Amino acid sequence: MEDKRPLSPHINIYKWHISSLVSISHRITGIINIIAITLVCVWVSWLILGETKYDLINFFFNSFLGKFVAIGLAWSFSFQILSEIRHLIMDMGYGYELKTTRITGLMVIFGSLILTILFYLIGKNFF
Amino acid sequence: MNLATKKWVFLKLSSIILVPLMFWFIINFISVYDGDYSEVISFFSNKTNKFLFSIFLIFAYFFSAISISEVFEDYISNEKTKYVANRLLYISAIIIPLLTIIILLNLK
Repeated sequence: MEDKRPLSPHINIYKWHISSLVSISHRITGIINIIAITLVCVWVSWLILGETKYDLINFFFNSFLGKFVAIGLAWSFSFQILSEIRHLIMDMGYGYELKTTRITGLMVIFGSLILTILFYLIGKNFF
Repeated sequence: MNLATKKWVFLKLSSIILVPLMFWFIINFISVYDGDYSEVISFFSNKTNKFLFSIFLIFAYFFSAISISEVFEDYISNEKTKYVANRLLYISAIIIPLLTIIILLNLK
């Protein structure tokens, strides 16, 4: 009986909309972020091993793949931040109209790309 | 207040605290990730950065544990599997940040 309990959401049944795309992406980026934060914990812990052992991490972060991972993480964090703010606004009872959910969903998607660029520019002292 | 409501309130409170910490973390991560050992160690040896990073880890794992347990609620129908998955999730959400903070406090 317990195994027949209906699970939600039925993502393979419903037609895709902006709000469903943002919702599932929110969950995926949430899982990516916690895996990434765990890797950050490994990175910080690695520091205690000393400078010689750190060369391997330094080599990775200065490679194309390392930079791709860092920028990917910045995007994943950006998406999560904007989507979380959208959730908090909706929790206060605003933004449930169909048109508004589409607009705020698009703001999260495109805003995350802009925020990633801003994070990178601020982090690298371009301003 | 039932358990589900408490979880929702904790989720929302932790997200309000986590958003500015995520801003702080990602900007600083971008500024130091490709630096050499001395740059990275000097960042994590700074008392303010140690404090903010520790708080960030505590809230990030707390928030993620509650969020992922909701994903388990939606996708795992077997109660025993869900119980084990939740236990593993909560234990790792305590152990990983705790160990990292202990190491962080010992960085000089």
